[in-house]
Amino acid sequence: MSPWIRRAVVFAFPWPVIVLSVFVGPQESISPRDALGWMASAVVQGPPADNVDFVRAIVWDIRIPRILLAFCVGGALAASGAALQAVFRNPLVSPYILGISSGAAFGAAAALAVGFLPVYGSAFLFGMAAVGCSYTLGRVNKAATPVSLVLSGMIVSGIFTALLTIVQFLADPFRLQTIVHWTMGNLHNAEWRRVLESAPIMAIGGAGMFFLRWRMNILALGDQEAYAVGVNPEREKIKMLIPATLAASAAVAAAGIIGMVGLVVPHMVRMMLGPDNRVGIPACFLFGGAFLVLVDDFSRALTAFELPIGIFTTLIGGPFFIFLLRRSRLGWAS
Amino acid sequence: MRKLRFAYGDAEVLRRVSFDIKPRSFTVLLGRNGSGKSTLFRLLVGLLKPREGSIAVFGRELHQLPLRERSRLLGFLPQHHHPVFPFSVEDVVLTGRAAHVGLVPKAHDRAVVREALEQLGIEHLIAKPYTELSGGEQQLVLIARVLAQKPKVLLLDEPTSHLDFVNAHRLMALVRDSLCAVMTVLAIVHDPNLAFQHGTDFLFLADGHVFQADSGRPPWSSALLERVYGVPMETVPFGQRAVVVPGDVSKPRQP
Amino acid sequence: MQAVDFRGKTVSLTEPARRIVCLIESALSGLYMLGVSERVVGVSSNVYEGAVRPYYEALDPRIRSKSLPAPGNWDFINTESVVALKPDLVILWAHQTEAIQSLESRGLVVFGVFVERFADVFREIEAFGALTGTEERARELITAVAHELQWLEQKLETATARGRPDVYFMWAQGDLETSGGNSTVNELIELAGGVNVFKHMPQEHVTVHRESVLKAEPDVIVMWVNPARDPVHIVSDVRWRSVKAVKDKRVHELPDVFTSDLWTLKYPLAVLTVARWLHPRAFDGEDLKARRRTFLERLYGSAAVGQVADHVPLD
Repeated sequence: MSPWIRRAVVFAFPWPVIVLSVFVGPQESISPRDALGWMASAVVQGPPADNVDFVRAIVWDIRIPRILLAFCVGGALAASGAALQAVFRNPLVSPYILGISSGAAFGAAAALAVGFLPVYGSAFLFGMAAVGCSYTLGRVNKAATPVSLVLSGMIVSGIFTALLTIVQFLADPFRLQTIVHWTMGNLHNAEWRRVLESAPIMAIGGAGMFFLRWRMNILALGDQEAYAVGVNPEREKIKMLIPATLAASAAVAAAGIIGMVGLVVPHMVRMMLGPDNRVGIPACFLFGGAFLVLVDDFSRALTAFELPIGIFTTLIGGPFFIFLLRRSRLGWAS
Repeated sequence: MRKLRFAYGDAEVLRRVSFDIKPRSFTVLLGRNGSGKSTLFRLLVGLLKPREGSIAVFGRELHQLPLRERSRLLGFLPQHHHPVFPFSVEDVVLTGRAAHVGLVPKAHDRAVVREALEQLGIEHLIAKPYTELSGGEQQLVLIARVLAQKPKVLLLDEPTSHLDFVNAHRLMALVRDSLCAVMTVLAIVHDPNLAFQHGTDFLFLADGHVFQADSGRPPWSSALLERVYGVPMETVPFGQRAVVVPGDVSKPRQP
Repeated sequence: MQAVDFRGKTVSLTEPARRIVCLIESALSGLYMLGVSERVVGVSSNVYEGAVRPYYEALDPRIRSKSLPAPGNWDFINTESVVALKPDLVILWAHQTEAIQSLESRGLVVFGVFVERFADVFREIEAFGALTGTEERARELITAVAHELQWLEQKLETATARGRPDVYFMWAQGDLETSGGNSTVNELIELAGGVNVFKHMPQEHVTVHRESVLKAEPDVIVMWVNPARDPVHIVSDVRWRSVKAVKDKRVHELPDVFTSDLWTLKYPLAVLTVARWLHPRAFDGEDLKARRRTFLERLYGSAAVGQVADHVPLD
């Protein structure tokens, strides 16, 4: 396939997924025809059917906000993962691996528990703290090797997960969602309010990454390589970590920790489009968003009950990542 | 007019060294292992700060310039290593434009990249993944990157260390013929014969001091050579120039 | 003294239990009803927390003065503290297998409880009666509950003949957390003259799709005691607006965890509460307040109920 066709496929794939997802739901729910009818009438103001309230509730109050939230969260996590992989020149990292996710979950849960802190701000601060710790601890002799960074990230992530559990124990059990909602994701609580408060933050983070996307290429080649062309690598890393953490932490504050999207989607996109972040970052946002919407479609349609979305992403992403690891070395050398 | 002045380095490695480099020259710095060549190189590119003294390029103090501006004056080849991501040659060379580009490179920058690749005769590699190239090709791509950076001075630290005999000569000839037409080059080279064949000016580093070859006398005939390398030298005439061969190396005399 | 516990294991004692550690709040209620509260030497830490605390403080001065040890709860158990209390009977959930094993290996007698159906509550109280030598009192309690249920059934007879409303039950952990057909909640709804809209689902506790709730069109939403959300929140939540119960403003929240308990002999009180929401006309002319008080007195004794009523409202 020529690169232009691949690019077209990646950038065209998300739109039908998003639109068709509006017609996906549990078996006993409305038919696609009902949904289509409502959308048509919403657009042209045709005569309302007798079940219009119910269809409207399903389509407008439940499905559309959930799809939008899934899209934003998946996009934010995937773009953030791609940015982190470039910044740390490490194909094994993601918001989850570097502890940003558990840091942000702790920050959000702590803010909800005390009641007076801004949830998204707190999630961002602790996400930054987590990635700062992971990077500092992972540096051996001034340079973080791929594996040492992953290990320190896992430790930091473990610490924040433990702190999250403490918050859960100390807090009024009804003030916070249960721990599994934080650690495995909870898209089923999506609603317009949540979309409207989290999407702008993820969009700001996404825009920041979009503007810096070419400069990620410079860092991805190496610190000295960046220095040689007039880019201070450490300062540049911080500059890029801010939007990447902002997007990922807002995603976690809105929907809990959804694993593997931030790790696997950048690899899928790189396989198709190559490592250039100029296309990679926007492609990851779109493709990651569509990926999560698609996975969520399965979780909405397959079982009669709700399972946390993180279960599905991890079950799909884990084996895929192992396949990638075995197929290519993913840069373990060096 | 260009003046590189430098004095007193790090941990007594370099003692009050001072030298000037002529514009558009291909100056080669020679010296033995541990003579302070790498320290000098790191000082020049700004990875180390001098304890005393100053380095000026075109009359501008190097250590007071912001990194971005410095990189437009002074380019260098980073240490060779294996990159993680399979960026295309074009993407790698394009990053050389970092100091000239805002957020995203434009058509003009791509034209500069093409030009740089053509200048080195490797435009056929443009779409190849950098990671799949041979060591010599990768070195050329990095040189193209520095060309795209368009600095006024280029510093090379042992640019031939990964190259075979023929490629090493090819690279040195290329530097003299193509690069010195647009910039000044200062290279650290181990092999004096390689240096003598291609360089235009010569600096020697020994004992923490920099010695400039006397103007008017060819460097290979200089008495400096024996002092710098600490062994007797024999000079074999070779065309317009000469080849040097160390004499008795079994009992090295420390300089 | 012997009784078969909910693991199917025969638990025997040579004489009635004198030192009981009971780490289940609902089972503790049973012991108070049997009148053996002074034999309890250790309780669940849940008794000291949250909404049930004032009731137990009123029922037991040792809980008020915090002198009754709490060596664990339904989730975590401090084996060492339990052993140190030298109990001759420990009451735990039957699924806490590791804790049970560790206590039994130290020579303690453990009775495992599992309440899935209301019938289990009867079985539990009979067993406790047997192990504490209060079989007579246990039978009295069971009769009282059976009598109350009979009265309820009779009251609802005409109303349910006309129709049973569809009910969606909402747990406090989230709007979408409910119970399927295999649960005390399902029994509660049926005894109250309604139909659980998720009775086709086998799970005791399950998170359902919001769309499924909307599709099920419940006539009434019954909320478990919920500190975070009240019926007014559900009624004003746009995501619920197409539901009939919301349109008709038939969203109700159970008043308190002590009297709405679904895992003790008190459960006819919850049935009565829900039945009034489902069939408002069925109890015309009845003094339900007095009836609830009388029933509670039958269970706990009038003195104890008097104490409780002095501290917390009972309706």
